[in-house]
Amino acid sequence: MSLVDFSMGEAATALRGELRDLVREHVPAGFLGAFTDDPADLAAAQRFCQLLAEKNLLCLAWPEEFGGRGASVWEQTVVREEMWAHHEPRGAQYMGVNWVGPAIMRHGTPDQQRTYLPPIARGEVIWCQGFSEPDAGSDLASLRTAARRDENGWRVSGQKIWTSYAAMAQWCFLLARTSRGEKKQQGLTVFLVPMSAAGIEVRPIRCMMGPHHLNEVFLDEVLVTEADVLGQVDAGWQVVQEVLAFERVGIARYARCERLLQAAPGVLGDQWDTLPAELRGRWARMLVHCRRARLLAYRVLALQREGRVQPGDAAAYRIAVTRLDQDSAEVLTEIAALAELDGEPGRWFGREVADHWRYSQASTVASGSIEMQRILLARQLLPRKAP
Amino acid sequence: MNIELGEEAAEYGRQARRALEAAGGDRLVQLAETEPGRREALVAPVLGELGAWDLDPRGGGAELEAAAALCRSAGYWALPYPVAERLSRPDPGVDGLLVVADRVPSAAVAHLDLRWAAVTLDGRRGLAVARPADGPPRDNAFVTRLDLQVTDGNGERDAALGLVLPCWTLLGMLDRAMELTRAHVLTREQFGQRLAAFQGVQFQLTEAEVERAGAEILATYALWSLAASPSGSSSALDDALALRLAAVEAAEVVFRVAHQLHGAIGFCDETPLSWLSRYSQPLRRLPFGLSATRTALTDRIGRRGLHGLFGAEATL
Repeated sequence: MSLVDFSMGEAATALRGELRDLVREHVPAGFLGAFTDDPADLAAAQRFCQLLAEKNLLCLAWPEEFGGRGASVWEQTVVREEMWAHHEPRGAQYMGVNWVGPAIMRHGTPDQQRTYLPPIARGEVIWCQGFSEPDAGSDLASLRTAARRDENGWRVSGQKIWTSYAAMAQWCFLLARTSRGEKKQQGLTVFLVPMSAAGIEVRPIRCMMGPHHLNEVFLDEVLVTEADVLGQVDAGWQVVQEVLAFERVGIARYARCERLLQAAPGVLGDQWDTLPAELRGRWARMLVHCRRARLLAYRVLALQREGRVQPGDAAAYRIAVTRLDQDSAEVLTEIAALAELDGEPGRWFGREVADHWRYSQASTVASGSIEMQRILLARQLLPRKAP
Repeated sequence: MNIELGEEAAEYGRQARRALEAAGGDRLVQLAETEPGRREALVAPVLGELGAWDLDPRGGGAELEAAAALCRSAGYWALPYPVAERLSRPDPGVDGLLVVADRVPSAAVAHLDLRWAAVTLDGRRGLAVARPADGPPRDNAFVTRLDLQVTDGNGERDAALGLVLPCWTLLGMLDRAMELTRAHVLTREQFGQRLAAFQGVQFQLTEAEVERAGAEILATYALWSLAASPSGSSSALDDALALRLAAVEAAEVVFRVAHQLHGAIGFCDETPLSWLSRYSQPLRRLPFGLSATRTALTDRIGRRGLHGLFGAEATL
């Protein structure tokens, strides 16, 4: 008889404690992520990654054969929660560890696995993801960047946009068109491209989230070889879909929301009781929504573990969590505006809240817009044949 | 981690739903509205056959989950009977438990000859006597005023159970409202295509489903909290209020969307939605509605917040 049980287990709880200790000890106070104008923040993230790698905590979700420790789904969840809650001190490693590495494990040749996986596992390299284009956002399969064969391999030309970390990345996980099929999802191929290759130009886009988040990447006759193809030529769409399915819940946005909301009364002290009762009520409601989003994430992971998850389940979670991100940012911003935020904790809180608000504006757009999530959920709710 | 009811409780819930359908299903609330004096007689046989009153949800574990599953099935059919309230009974000396507000204490228990215990959110316990109904069920959905007699102040845990089980009834109503609405938009055609083909319709439905799914997972969590909280712990009541807040919010969204997408047919008594929507009202308004629930939760958690990853009670 299996009863309801929301505990994560002793190993996950111990891991949470270990990660919090490491963050407390090694992440600078007031850290707002690796991608600020201050190079010290990127350096701090790189040091932290190497520390995690030394402790075998960076790629703990990876199978042991690739240098991971085959951690449970709940241990992986703890890592996602603790890292995002503390402004992702792994920096851009998120992309390599959670996304690129697993794709290479599944589709890469032994040579590719030997070349690319160890540097990711050591926290030494940064990857960017060359997907979106000016005319291919949510409709990704409409992308136009094309690779044509020549005697040396392939020549890639086109333009990518909204590419995070491109200016600091050493490698790009690039999706390009290699042929035309009956459907636009056919004829796409994934290439593993060094960002140092001739013909690549990166132009940063200044944006409200801060530097390094968004870039344009121009590719002009960039030479790549057969050895740089991940998986089969013309089968890139399957690679992308499979890896997207691998990473269904994505960023644990609820964790940062909850940390900031829970911190607010302590930071404000006695000022808390002078806030409008209606605002404190909205704060309490947001805490309920944090829990709701967190539990919906756990539901997706539990269903996924049993092979029962459907795209709509993950979409429902993503709708809930991205709305939470924005709604909690509004509440926190209003709280911060009504308080005298003196001293270091107060100033940090104010900066964190402002950063959270700016960042949250993108949450319903990034990594699959909320409209795409609604389409996925609607497909599950409204199958073409009546139930 | 296990985020779903145990198979035994889930199967019991499915059997209860089928048994309630066989006993009259949607007709039960319609008959009770017409003849409120038969409210007990209409459902007593089937609930007896289901062994409803043999369940001991206070013992936690499987019986608590089975009680929740039964409440959900009762809600699915808008069963005109306070199943959750009866299952919450604190001792054999009474027939059930009502969580009551200080202001205008009321409950949907008119036309029943039952002995009620009552508890307030701050844990004051006592007895409640229902006054005779002052109007027909069509107007008041069986809600009547209560006369209270306070006896002691140790009822916080009673209040938690007494809030959680009715939320499971409401969840069953949300399940049904969503099911009815999905079926309607998949068959109803306008402008030469099914309503389900319009993205505006699809997106409204997803809004409602996110709310329903959120209420469902919080309802499950609240059961676990009830079973896992040590006696006297206040977190079970925090969690019950958090659930109630989400469930009442969800009901507002789900029924608004259900009515909108049904169009005029949804107001007609020939559709189950009309009955479900009207008889969801007591569950959504009593013992307190959205604003009062939010105020109660806010006052209770004060500056410590809610148990979670980072709350004052969070474990590392």
